Amino acid sequence: MMAQIDVTSASQDRPAMGVDLWWIPRGLVLGLLAFVIFGPLANLLLWTVAERWYFPHALPIDYGFSYWGRVFAPRGNATEALANSLTVAGLTVVVSLALAIPAGYALARLRLPFRAVILIAFLIPQAFPNLTVYVNVARLFYQLGLNGTIPGVVLVHVTHGLVYAVWIATAAFSAVDAELEEAARSIGAGALRAFLDVTLPLAAPGLLASAIFVFLESLDEFTGSYFVGAPDVNMLPLLLYTAGAGGNYQVASITALLLLVPSIGFMLVVERFLKSDVLSKVGR
Amino acid sequence: MSLIGHPIVPGGRFSRKTDMPTPALGLLLVLPALAVILLLFVVPLAASVAGAFEVGGGFGFGNFIKTFELYTSDILFTLMIVSLSTAIIGALAIAIGGYLTLGENPRAVALLRWLYRWPMFVPFIVVGQVLRTFLAKNGLMNNVLIGAGLITPMDATSFLDWRGIVIAFVWKQTPFVALLVAGAMASVDRGTLEAARNLGASRVRILLEILVPQVAGTLMVALVLSFVTMMSVLSVPLMINAQSPTMITADIAFRINAYGDYGVANALGVVSLIASAGVAWLYLRHSVKERA
Amino acid sequence: MQSLLKPALVASALTLGLAAAPASAAELTVITAGDQNMVDYVNQYLAPLFEKQYPGNTVRVVGTGPGDAGSQKIVERFEAQKQAGSTTWDTDVAVVHEKFVGPMITGAYLEAYRDKISTGKLVSRSNADMALGTKVTGYVMPMFNSQTAIAYNPALVPNPPKSYAELADWAKAHPKQFGYNGIKGGASGVSFVMGWIYAFGDGDANKLMNGPFEAAETKKWDAAFASLRDFTRNATLTPGNAGTLDLLSRGEIAMGPVWVDMFYSWQANGQLPPDFKLVLPAPGMPGQPMHYVIPAKSANKELAEKFVELATSPKVQAEGIVKRFNWYPGIDAQYVQPELDKATWDKLFIAITPEDLAKNGKPFPIAPYNSAILEAYERQATN
Repeated sequence: MMAQIDVTSASQDRPAMGVDLWWIPRGLVLGLLAFVIFGPLANLLLWTVAERWYFPHALPIDYGFSYWGRVFAPRGNATEALANSLTVAGLTVVVSLALAIPAGYALARLRLPFRAVILIAFLIPQAFPNLTVYVNVARLFYQLGLNGTIPGVVLVHVTHGLVYAVWIATAAFSAVDAELEEAARSIGAGALRAFLDVTLPLAAPGLLASAIFVFLESLDEFTGSYFVGAPDVNMLPLLLYTAGAGGNYQVASITALLLLVPSIGFMLVVERFLKSDVLSKVGR
Repeated sequence: MSLIGHPIVPGGRFSRKTDMPTPALGLLLVLPALAVILLLFVVPLAASVAGAFEVGGGFGFGNFIKTFELYTSDILFTLMIVSLSTAIIGALAIAIGGYLTLGENPRAVALLRWLYRWPMFVPFIVVGQVLRTFLAKNGLMNNVLIGAGLITPMDATSFLDWRGIVIAFVWKQTPFVALLVAGAMASVDRGTLEAARNLGASRVRILLEILVPQVAGTLMVALVLSFVTMMSVLSVPLMINAQSPTMITADIAFRINAYGDYGVANALGVVSLIASAGVAWLYLRHSVKERA
Repeated sequence: MQSLLKPALVASALTLGLAAAPASAAELTVITAGDQNMVDYVNQYLAPLFEKQYPGNTVRVVGTGPGDAGSQKIVERFEAQKQAGSTTWDTDVAVVHEKFVGPMITGAYLEAYRDKISTGKLVSRSNADMALGTKVTGYVMPMFNSQTAIAYNPALVPNPPKSYAELADWAKAHPKQFGYNGIKGGASGVSFVMGWIYAFGDGDANKLMNGPFEAAETKKWDAAFASLRDFTRNATLTPGNAGTLDLLSRGEIAMGPVWVDMFYSWQANGQLPPDFKLVLPAPGMPGQPMHYVIPAKSANKELAEKFVELATSPKVQAEGIVKRFNWYPGIDAQYVQPELDKATWDKLFIAITPEDLAKNGKPFPIAPYNSAILEAYERQATN
């Protein structure tokens, strides 16, 4: 909304030479936005290094890294949990996309009976609060011998990640002009060739955006990680959950920061990859 | 540099015969993904849903009667909170996407692009924690505002009620929707936008009359996903809102943890599922109509 | 897909390989409900000690989160393995709230082990035999006893109320200065509500704590809930156990019910000013033990028993439970006290004297009354 106001005001006046007065409203809006976004994040950062912080002190009384020591204590398993979380998140993205690309293509392009029902089915794992479901899921996984294995955890995360992957893939494929694919077919390309050379690259940006959300979803997932992963495959959210729910602000903040770094890294990698990919298309 | 290089519009185009192989092929392509969902979630879920209708050995609606007796206000509260949050998220996402696409000052656009995505990477449970300590009466926000002389200590109020939940949802989910919407907007044909601009249309008009309709599909998909996500979040209402009424997820957790009562918990889950599926269905019906 | 799953298979094979190391070197899995300090207690203190005494074995600990939700997740884990027909379970020792031991015994998940370990005789308190009306003798050893109490800010409350009646008056005179977390945000609020019914219900509080359950008894609380409803309107509702401490720490409320051990760990973490104090008002507030239980299908049952034996030995209870983590001992105090110097022992009772604790430290109502009170609260005090 605020950015919109800025749009209006800026549009009525082209900045002349000299000082651009429109930086005043722009600065105000961006400053407010920065406060709204970084205020809570600053809170998080402060708690990672706060040794003592209570009323009436507006800022921490002592700073230090003793809680970092606690998180990274050899028995705390934070490093192993982080490695597990990243492995699982990466695999979840790969498996989700591998499943979602054909499904999304079919849902967008092909004639399907019960299309709406199928799309809604993918929403269910996110839509039904899953506290009551996990006993049953865990039982199934114990029977299959998947409990305590990385493939087991990946599968659970895939069921949650598919919501994003399939819905966004469907939307992405819908947006690609079908005529382009037909043109490729008409000059003799096979169906698969036409898909791989024309449709898939054009839908790639949307698919990669969904990859980010699947990655984040996997990295933050607690319930499935506990029931299916622990105690053999420990994940970072387990650490985060106990500290967060119990109000141990320091440990929770440090763990959250540990999760933040790979998430942002993953997005930067995806964007970089995407940029070069899109640019390479320009020349053709 | 946008994440999604082209607009995403709802539905597919069914007009061409070459694109119409038998439904069997389509089903075959959907099957692996569908099988994962059905086997690993829907089947275990079915046991839970059946549990909602189980009353003392027989089948009946006892759990639903109790659900509505005790939790009608919570159900309405949840729907209002989530709907309001979705609306605000949609408006903010359009504004952010619009400025990123139409903004004329490259530096301001770059700043906004750099700014808006951060909250997306904070897990919900931490969103609950940071906003609890940020929004409290003597939290960091009011301390900063008082320190800056913008408000007096007497004006400081706590936002730890329904407003806190809405703020938490909007804070966390706006980047998600904005990312998708901005990507779609960036790939709308620049020529059309330039032409409109040359005809003297204001940027707000271009945004609302050209851009938004073009990206409506993406926007709706993102909002549906957001709605469904917010319906299922437990930590935010638990950590921010102390009042009654509260959200459905908190009631489900309470039924299970305090009473071991899976019957009413599952009935509440069914209510939540119906709400989410209802929203998804409304969108799908709408998109099918548009396509026709 | 095959190649994609390969790294995962390798990784899981590695995990399996580690688990299947030589038989003499077992890995003991401890799953604990409760706050971060429960995980810290095992990781920082108990596990290293155990590994030193039983060389070659290792201990790993998983936390399932605070409050009833944490224990419920352990119950569900056991239930899933039972239904799946697993021959050996993936948990060797669990630490749960007393409320969940009853359902675990009903579900036949547990091993009766107390008589097999030497420290079994060091427990005589009744809550090691009865848990909310279910007989649990033999299945549990208390890790520690915890207690709820009213925490207050001495700067704002120079003369803390000594009873629920005084507390109600004080809260009326100081609107919004008393805060509690209702019943959905954790057990400290639940405990406050139970104490309210003990104090103001028309029935017999002892019957609520010891049974038997009579439906007629549940009709005697209407006046108490009506006054609680007014009281709550005048109070601040806080988001959860941690929320009460949070609002206390930032001066927004002056008083509120908390778990004693959480209160101390917040002070130790520098999240709460050191001068804040506790009071246990008459006629009393509930407390509860955390219990060690051993699943009947644990793969390392003997080692698990040795672990609990160590954990409930007087030395460990003195050094670990009392001295380092400020918990009330689980085994009888008479065996723990000689292991500690007087200053350390007294430190535990600075705020609440042993006499107060004996007089005003109550158990929770038995399970059917417990549920009836919670449901009545939902219907009468909030709706």
